[in-house]
Amino acid sequence: MTRSIIDPITRIEGHLRVEMEVTDGVVSDAWVSGGCFRGMELVVQNRTPEDAAQIVERICGVCPVSHAHASSIAAEKAYGITISNNARLVRNLIEGAQFLHSHILWFYNLCALDYVNPLNALEADVASTYDLAQQLGTSMDTDFKLLKEKLERFAANGQLSIFSGNWFDCDNGEGYKLPAEANLICTAHYLEALKMQARASEIAALIGGKMPHVMTLIPGGTAFVPTEGKLDDLWAMACEIYDWVSTTMIQDTLALAPFYPDALKFGKGCGRYIAWGVFEGPGWPYGGDYTEQMINRYLPMGVLDEDLNVSNVQESLITEYMGHSWYEGDATYESPYFVTDPEFSEYNVEDRYTWVKCPAYDGKPMEAGGFARILAAYKRGVPFIVENVDKMLVALGAKPGELSALQSTLGRTATRQIETLYIAGLMKEWTLELMEAIKGGDSEYFRDPVTTTGEGTGFWEAPRGALYHSEKVTNRNIDGYQIIIPSTWNLAPLNAEGVHGPMEQALIGNPVEDIDMPINALRTVHSFDPCTACAVHITEPKTGKTFKTVTSPWGVK
Amino acid sequence: MVDQATTTDAFGVLESRGVSRRSFMKLCAGVAAAAGLSQLAIPRVAEALEKSVIGATSGDLYPVIWIEGASCTGCTESFAQIETPDVATVVLDIISLNYSETLSAAAGYSVEEAKAQTIEAGNYVLIYEGAVLEGWNGNALRVAGETGNEALIHAAASANAVMAVGSCAVNGGWCAAYPNPSKAMGVQQFLKKEGIDTPVINIPGCPVNPEWMMQVLVDVVLLKDPSLVKLNSFNEPADLFDQTIHDNCARRGHFENGEFVYEFGSKEEALGYCLYPLGCRGPQTKAQCPVTLWNNRRSWCVQAGSPCIGCCEANPNDPGDNWVQVNTPFYQRFRDLRVGDFTFQPEPVAWALTGIVALALVCHGFGMKKTGRMDGGAPFEPIRKWDAKHPDQAIGTYADPEKGGPVLSAELTEENTHHAAAPADVVVADYEGEAGGEAR
Amino acid sequence: MIFVVTHWINLVCMLLLILTGFIIHYPFIAGIMGICRGVHLFCGFVLFLNMVFRVVASFIVKTSPTGGTRKQTTDIKSWLPQKDNRHQALEWIKYYLFLRKDHPLGAKLGVPQKLSYLMIPVLIFLMFWTGLCLWGETMNVPAFAATTTLVGGAMSMRIIHYYGMFVFIIFMFIHIYLANVESIAPTKLMFFHKEHGGLVYDPDIHNIVGEDFDPESCVETRAKRGPIDDSHHVTRTAS
Repeated sequence: MTRSIIDPITRIEGHLRVEMEVTDGVVSDAWVSGGCFRGMELVVQNRTPEDAAQIVERICGVCPVSHAHASSIAAEKAYGITISNNARLVRNLIEGAQFLHSHILWFYNLCALDYVNPLNALEADVASTYDLAQQLGTSMDTDFKLLKEKLERFAANGQLSIFSGNWFDCDNGEGYKLPAEANLICTAHYLEALKMQARASEIAALIGGKMPHVMTLIPGGTAFVPTEGKLDDLWAMACEIYDWVSTTMIQDTLALAPFYPDALKFGKGCGRYIAWGVFEGPGWPYGGDYTEQMINRYLPMGVLDEDLNVSNVQESLITEYMGHSWYEGDATYESPYFVTDPEFSEYNVEDRYTWVKCPAYDGKPMEAGGFARILAAYKRGVPFIVENVDKMLVALGAKPGELSALQSTLGRTATRQIETLYIAGLMKEWTLELMEAIKGGDSEYFRDPVTTTGEGTGFWEAPRGALYHSEKVTNRNIDGYQIIIPSTWNLAPLNAEGVHGPMEQALIGNPVEDIDMPINALRTVHSFDPCTACAVHITEPKTGKTFKTVTSPWGVK
Repeated sequence: MVDQATTTDAFGVLESRGVSRRSFMKLCAGVAAAAGLSQLAIPRVAEALEKSVIGATSGDLYPVIWIEGASCTGCTESFAQIETPDVATVVLDIISLNYSETLSAAAGYSVEEAKAQTIEAGNYVLIYEGAVLEGWNGNALRVAGETGNEALIHAAASANAVMAVGSCAVNGGWCAAYPNPSKAMGVQQFLKKEGIDTPVINIPGCPVNPEWMMQVLVDVVLLKDPSLVKLNSFNEPADLFDQTIHDNCARRGHFENGEFVYEFGSKEEALGYCLYPLGCRGPQTKAQCPVTLWNNRRSWCVQAGSPCIGCCEANPNDPGDNWVQVNTPFYQRFRDLRVGDFTFQPEPVAWALTGIVALALVCHGFGMKKTGRMDGGAPFEPIRKWDAKHPDQAIGTYADPEKGGPVLSAELTEENTHHAAAPADVVVADYEGEAGGEAR
Repeated sequence: MIFVVTHWINLVCMLLLILTGFIIHYPFIAGIMGICRGVHLFCGFVLFLNMVFRVVASFIVKTSPTGGTRKQTTDIKSWLPQKDNRHQALEWIKYYLFLRKDHPLGAKLGVPQKLSYLMIPVLIFLMFWTGLCLWGETMNVPAFAATTTLVGGAMSMRIIHYYGMFVFIIFMFIHIYLANVESIAPTKLMFFHKEHGGLVYDPDIHNIVGEDFDPESCVETRAKRGPIDDSHHVTRTAS
């Protein structure tokens, strides 16, 4: 019986602590703690929905577009707006750019260092590296010889920079299993990925002004109006990213997988999934039928139970419990209004231990994320996804359709590359579609509200999973705002029945050889791509509670 | 297709600024000396570094600790988008980024150890992203078993300088917007409160523009030449934050021409007209966005069709003046003013007030007409009210100390008018009657 | 006479400042932005310098403290409240609100009038200062930057400057109204230095002592206006 703690978890967004009970080299119990409270919902109170869209996107620097998008959808539902077809395309493009950025960054720059040891690449033989790359079918855009020399210079200097305190020698030097040549290839792709994620962000910046925190995604449509010059740039960048993604990412994943077969055996999690769907589909609009709208998304909505049966989301089944989080009381609240007041007590895994609340769907913890989206899309029969998931299953030694083979740390990590490729292809498709629409004379990008009072919910997806924004608006003024973020689902603490949250469940059963450097646990955590800054949130409901009155006309001092 | 990630190095950056490799090395040596490691401290540090997880006892790279406070990681993300030089060059050739919650390979205890060793060795720069939270005694932010504030104090105390990147780090940013639920504030204010006098360089923005950060890194941190970076009264680099966005905006010409975008996504937007009517904060936000641009100099907010929302507005000494509070509603030309829970736009109030005054004057005019004052006003009071009540302290001299009345005096009149008093038959004005006295 | 000139300068500058200020605030007319900005700056400086001159001159130039009076004192004495203004503020307000019938006894400027005229230089100074806080050339001068910080940023500074203009507009409304509602004689005096007769108020005994008789026109005046001469309204007479 030993405790193993990782605090802080690095290479994620925000502040996260993982505490694990280790029995006989295996995690027997786990507690995940989100460490930061900022109170987003309180800040958007009594501001306009337009302002809210801009402010809430600042909840997260990795997935700002998704937050602005979900908030805008919620505002549009409240305002009675259906956005124009061109606005739909522009918004899909900016969202897609962010997904590409996020997925590339996550896989290579956040996740890969759990599998790849760049310092070991110093041992690589350059000629064999080219041979190996050719064999793997992965891209060779980098001059491996120059890269090796660069690494040698870096090593000769002696300072470790971002590799300070690394775990590369964990598990008695057995934790990192790739041969030196594969490490060199992946290090090259690590550096290329830094460029490519920046290029993907550049698309978001072209449309949104800057990234992170894009500016043109607003309730009513988009403030961005494509001109010919901008469309050319968009097309060129979309092609460049597609070329790189299609020649590199899945190939690298399949190159890694054989060296870490164990990672296919642990990290399943709760085995139930939610995806609200992302990228508004063709055939827009759907006559105001929200469920239809969500099912027709390029990555469709779906709630999957233990047996992966798919059903449609019902908003009323979403609840939140805070008996193990730093909030007052321990009631369970129903969507869309959650009554919460933050109140820190102490860190105690027996009682309250996180700023993250515990959401549930139909009373049960649910996993959100790229894996959930892929499963939902597979079950909804999206052809590209079905085809490529089956291919991957075969490559990993399973049978087509045998989805349970992917319910693991590595499966969760690997399937995301399919999604990346799918979106990279769609980016080109949408760009062409937008060009055609403009040629056809369509020039509508923004619509005014039909009403300024109402309620609306934005069901959407961040790269990290199902995202929910809900707001109540009176005369363009926000009376109530509620956000449930994918990582809140994944990082949920124990629920009222004492059932662990999805990531906690996924951690239980992970082999731990070295309790100071539990690398497998870290791999599992990273497979969820946690984003804790967003995950922590509260709401100010219509309780009649007022905050300190400020008499200065200039506001809070 | 993809740039080779191999050819650039830090010295290229420095040479482009007129610094030769040789002089750079000399500078670095000077920096180490200036950092003030006393002779006594050296053996202890050397010993610490021998068992180091951060690398060798010496090296060309400048140690940097990057702490994320109450942040969205947006500034780290933004830093990851830097292109000139690219981020790999920065972290492999320019700085030794020994602690970064987003980029460090290490995790948990190991990464905290790397931070501790860097702090002990000294001569590093701290980059701090995100707000400082004072809520629940700092427990609104917990990292590695302590509060985020303890981590900041510890790392800032022995740093050569603290770079507060992003508006949150400068003064709390949106976290500090009303009602500021987590009691957010900026790094400078917090350190001052804690009595830590490490110099703070503020680089606001939501997120920070990586090129601005890099400029400061090269000028201040690497060259350590204070004359290269002039700070303004907010401790911001003056050449980045002393001009308004409006003055450098590519759409300024349209502003001067009176050509405006009145609706989002409109034809005027396609023509690149000025976004001022949609609430652009360019005229009062000071930053170099239109010059530096964002994301590989691809675009910036206004170029993409969005009015500036003033995210660089941050007074480091006052979290209340955060950019959200100062600029919402973003798409109105003015911020809201707030009295208690009541918020209002300043413009209609000014007009309404003026209208009310004008209306009141018209009504008053009718009153004047009705009371007959328009033809010369009402008659004078015979005695000041106060004088009548306090005859012993009377201000004026009256014909009658109790009833009052003018002191008609040809002598005084002459003295005052410099000519003879009016002939008796001319003086017909009924002074006394008019003044309320006995009619003649 | 000199104050007729400064009054003219004030009038022209304020009107131009308000006009150009509105155009700068609502910059929707094509092509005149640059001119307006130039005129606004120029008039701002002129108005400020004129104000400084006016204040300095008030300590040097002599004017009559009361209507119908040729005794002169330095102008500042009739500008600042004097002994005979004591306890009169409330009475003046009552008079304007029709709560009393007769006119409070006093020299040429009533209490509210004196106070509001005293506010004008302060206001001009504030507008000048806030204007410089907003002007690109001067906004980073430490004193101006500090002021901007004090009020909570350039946005708040803009609102203050904008509100300041409305204070001027409201002042002008009231000023023009009150100066003319009982007679336009003061306007003639202020703009064209056309003197008029009226009751003689002695500043030493603080009471009316007679009427300023204009021998050339008195017969005519009498015939025309009858016994009640408008000029007895002492608040409206000046040197």
